[in-house]
Amino acid sequence: MIDFEHVTKQYKHGEKPALEDINFHVDDGEFVFLLGHSGAGKSTLLKLILREERATSGQVLVDGKDVAKLRRHKIPYLRRQMGIIFQDFRLIPTMTVYENIAFAMHVTNIGRKQIKERVPYMLELVHLEDKANVYPEFLSGGEQQRVAVARALAHAPKLVIADEPTGNIDPELSLEMMELLERVSDMGITVLVVTHEHELVHRFHRRVVTLKGGQIISDIPADGRADLDLPLNGLDTTGEITLKPAAEGEEALV
Amino acid sequence: MKLSTFGFLTRRGVRNLGKHWAMTIACIASLSVCMTLNTFATLAEVNVDSMVNYLGQQNEMVVFVDPAADDATTASVGERITATPGVSSVQYMSKEDTLNAYRGFLSDYASLLDEFENDNPFKANYRVSLSDLSQMSAISQQFQTIPGVYSVSAPVEMTNTFVEIQKVVTKGGQAIIAVLMIVSIITVGSTIRLSVFARRREIEIMKYVGATNAMVTLPFFMEGLTMGLISGAITSAAGIGGYYYIVEASSTFGGLWQMLMGAALVPVENVWLTILTYSLAGGALVGALGSTFSIRKHLNV
Repeated sequence: MIDFEHVTKQYKHGEKPALEDINFHVDDGEFVFLLGHSGAGKSTLLKLILREERATSGQVLVDGKDVAKLRRHKIPYLRRQMGIIFQDFRLIPTMTVYENIAFAMHVTNIGRKQIKERVPYMLELVHLEDKANVYPEFLSGGEQQRVAVARALAHAPKLVIADEPTGNIDPELSLEMMELLERVSDMGITVLVVTHEHELVHRFHRRVVTLKGGQIISDIPADGRADLDLPLNGLDTTGEITLKPAAEGEEALV
Repeated sequence: MKLSTFGFLTRRGVRNLGKHWAMTIACIASLSVCMTLNTFATLAEVNVDSMVNYLGQQNEMVVFVDPAADDATTASVGERITATPGVSSVQYMSKEDTLNAYRGFLSDYASLLDEFENDNPFKANYRVSLSDLSQMSAISQQFQTIPGVYSVSAPVEMTNTFVEIQKVVTKGGQAIIAVLMIVSIITVGSTIRLSVFARRREIEIMKYVGATNAMVTLPFFMEGLTMGLISGAITSAAGIGGYYYIVEASSTFGGLWQMLMGAALVPVENVWLTILTYSLAGGALVGALGSTFSIRKHLNV
């Protein structure tokens, strides 16, 4: 679904690149955490996927297409394959919950009939069927984030990108949110969760790509994670994942 | 774009007017005030121009017919004058008419002219008004060449002065209108930009969910267009209503003002349709284009 091949992004000539020689691949339907502290290059990486920015060198492929080669008027069509969830929800305050979801479908050229069928289904999925006519300001943070999830999924994207989706909600709701995203992934949709919350990442046995200083410093696969039994206090504050030494007879994964 | 999407985005643009009512009022107010100022500046320019023209028109050109000319020649002089481009009106004054006119001027002493009854010294003439006073010199020379014309009396210097005044008034008026229009566009543009800036988040969301630039622009275009049309209607009402009041009031002032204004003010029925058309079209244009241009820089997401 996503391929980064020797991708470097430098905003200003002479400055340290925001991303340097990044290589990673995300399969269709895979669930990946992108972990890193502020300034690690997470946002830049997302901007490259969304084609908000172009790589200085290397190739970014989304669903097999080199996004840098896309003409400007084709970018909306690339984004229609994606659902984006933001830390600050980004709901339109002058629209009800129903309208916020329907709006995203309308602007992606989905027919009225399909919208009428799909929006109630999405609201049911995120357990907000009774809040359809409520304005965002009357919802809790968790509810707003669920609306954002419903909006991101409404047009049946192939890829869901969640940018710090738990940043503005309490820990209990964060777990719920991640479980919801796991269910999304189980439906065959690729999910990329950008976060700096190590604890949360370690509660889920999913692939973790860690960025630091614009470089990938570790890429731990999901199947490896399940066997590792990482303790929460095994994380250091630099954003790197420290692994217990391999037990006798086991192979170290990183 | 699907028809349902077009309908949704169009309705959304119109509905946004109510949802962002404070900005809507600010935009409509600034656009209406600017356009009303422009309307009155234009009306002032048109009327001053008309007044100068009116005063100029009072300076008729008089074409004297050769006293030896027979009736056929006199008539042919009249025909040629009438056929000359730029002539707006021609009035024939026979020798007798001229004598009677002078009798009228002398009123109580009219009997002094009685002795000219049988030996009339006046010449038959054509009183000619021109639509373009600047042509007076050229046309008077042209009339001199018409067979049967004795002489031409044209207040060329006087009319040239009026023409110069008219030019200055027209250019001055146009300059004031141009400055007002620039001020209007800057004021309205800033208000609309402010309104768009307040909703940049909405634009950003639309872009992230995959809306094309046309889809993002459409609601703002419709919003601007509606605001422009509302402003145009307000401007028309203020412009036509205000001008009607001025025309009505000027007829009651009396004196020199009434003499000038009563005769030279352009009647309301001649201008109301132009005010309405230009106000609506101007409002729609400034509103729609203002909104469209204002969101352009926010589209690069």
